[in-house]
Amino acid sequence: MIEIRDLHKEFRLSHSGAASMKTALLWWRRRSIEHLKVLNGVTLSIPAGQCVALVGRNGAGKSTLLSILSRIYKPTSGSVEVKGRIAPLLELGAGFHPDLTGLENIEFNGVILGLTRAEVRERIQEIVAFSELEHHIDAPVRTYSSGMQARLGFAIATHVDAEILIVDEVLAVGDFAFEQKCYARIEEFRRGGGTILFVSHQLDSVTKIADRCVWLQNGQIAMDGDPAEVISAYHSSA
Amino acid sequence: MISDLRELWRFRELLLTLVERDLRIRYKGSMFGFFWSLLNPLMTVVVMTVIFKFVMRNDTPNFSAYILSAYLPYLFFQMAVLDSAQSVLVALPIIKKVYFPREVLPLAAICSNFIHFLLALGVFFLFLFAVYLADPRVSPFSWNMLLLPIPLALNLALAAGLGLLVSALNTFYEDIKYVVAVGLQLLFFVTPIMYFSEQVYVASHAHSGSSWLYWLYHLNPVATLCMMYRKVLVAPQDVIVSPDRLPWLPIDWGLVAIMAVVSVFTLWYGYRTFNRMKWRFVERP
Repeated sequence: MIEIRDLHKEFRLSHSGAASMKTALLWWRRRSIEHLKVLNGVTLSIPAGQCVALVGRNGAGKSTLLSILSRIYKPTSGSVEVKGRIAPLLELGAGFHPDLTGLENIEFNGVILGLTRAEVRERIQEIVAFSELEHHIDAPVRTYSSGMQARLGFAIATHVDAEILIVDEVLAVGDFAFEQKCYARIEEFRRGGGTILFVSHQLDSVTKIADRCVWLQNGQIAMDGDPAEVISAYHSSA
Repeated sequence: MISDLRELWRFRELLLTLVERDLRIRYKGSMFGFFWSLLNPLMTVVVMTVIFKFVMRNDTPNFSAYILSAYLPYLFFQMAVLDSAQSVLVALPIIKKVYFPREVLPLAAICSNFIHFLLALGVFFLFLFAVYLADPRVSPFSWNMLLLPIPLALNLALAAGLGLLVSALNTFYEDIKYVVAVGLQLLFFVTPIMYFSEQVYVASHAHSGSSWLYWLYHLNPVATLCMMYRKVLVAPQDVIVSPDRLPWLPIDWGLVAIMAVVSVFTLWYGYRTFNRMKWRFVERP
């Protein structure tokens, strides 16, 4: 269950470039800091077991919203309440250490997502089998293609017994067969009572798997409801 | 702070995994990985012993063991602080995408260096035994060794506190690590490693007629730590710099108490500062 109330997020953008003591000392008077409001009062309640799609144009605040739910950022104001463990899939290969092997990265990522190492070891066979990377699992992740990284990331995130899955358009790089497999896994995850929140620009997949669609525009919810209706409104606005 | 500690405890498996990975990377690649990492302290001690015995005429018994007993803790302190300084910055791409308590990163750097230090201390005892066999007239062993956990714990607290503080600051101001590196380099000279705190005591009395310079010198917690390590790890001896013979001083518990307060305060302050800054790491301008 996710309960978001009047969420605001503001970023401070500095135009003086890289952070260093020199710039801080030299430009502390003239520092041009711009405040960028990314989320302007988002209120959203997602009951357990629902599959919600987020749509909206670039910069609408979708990724920021997912990042706040994943506890990467603290909100500027407003509250977020999450019941259940979250498995975030925010970016391709995120959280992977390029020099470690696939196997070592499974262990590392599983532990980050809250499993003990013993629990990760129990699941390792299953994860490797799902990712279909048996032949590459002992090679460093830097040698993986983007599709292979997406497979591994998805396989880990969906095998850690999380209650909530957060996906930020990472499935687009897999091939057709793997995409089908991911959708099947998501379906299975939903039948087990899992909640899903995902961002996608492939609007046909939204109507196919989501039971609810939220359209974000300039950091606010423009429309929230049945996927087909929201998508057609979103389409005609563009 | 209590909730931060509870959160850290929840992620103890991650800390263990990171420490294990650090050590595996450090020791793999070559079969003698661990021994290669001891090359620096051992060679330093050999060179220092030769210079000090024959050029500076220091004839204190077990001199090389004395150098090593202070140089190993100093090296641990230096490496732990420098490694943790970079730890958050290096992991920035990862922490932008996954959540875990950020303090795990500097703490892992501290812990893996501490384990390395403990292993090096094991080799130190072998070294001590060799020194004893080479010159059995003066035994370097004493019951003081049982006090070893005290300087170890305080050293860990001081290194962790400073490591947390520096890693948080270095994430925003990347020049901090250069300042810290210079500071640690200079620390070597104001720490009793290549000379003895007994010499500082005598110099203090010669210059000011009292111990206050000696006290001032030992307000540096690393100096007091190294002084204590020395007296704990090697049986204290009179310091002989010909033609003088300086009687050995017992552990000054007043100075140790001050150092203990400073170390614990540093740990508390470093942890608090880190926790106050950690949510802004990913929003670094």
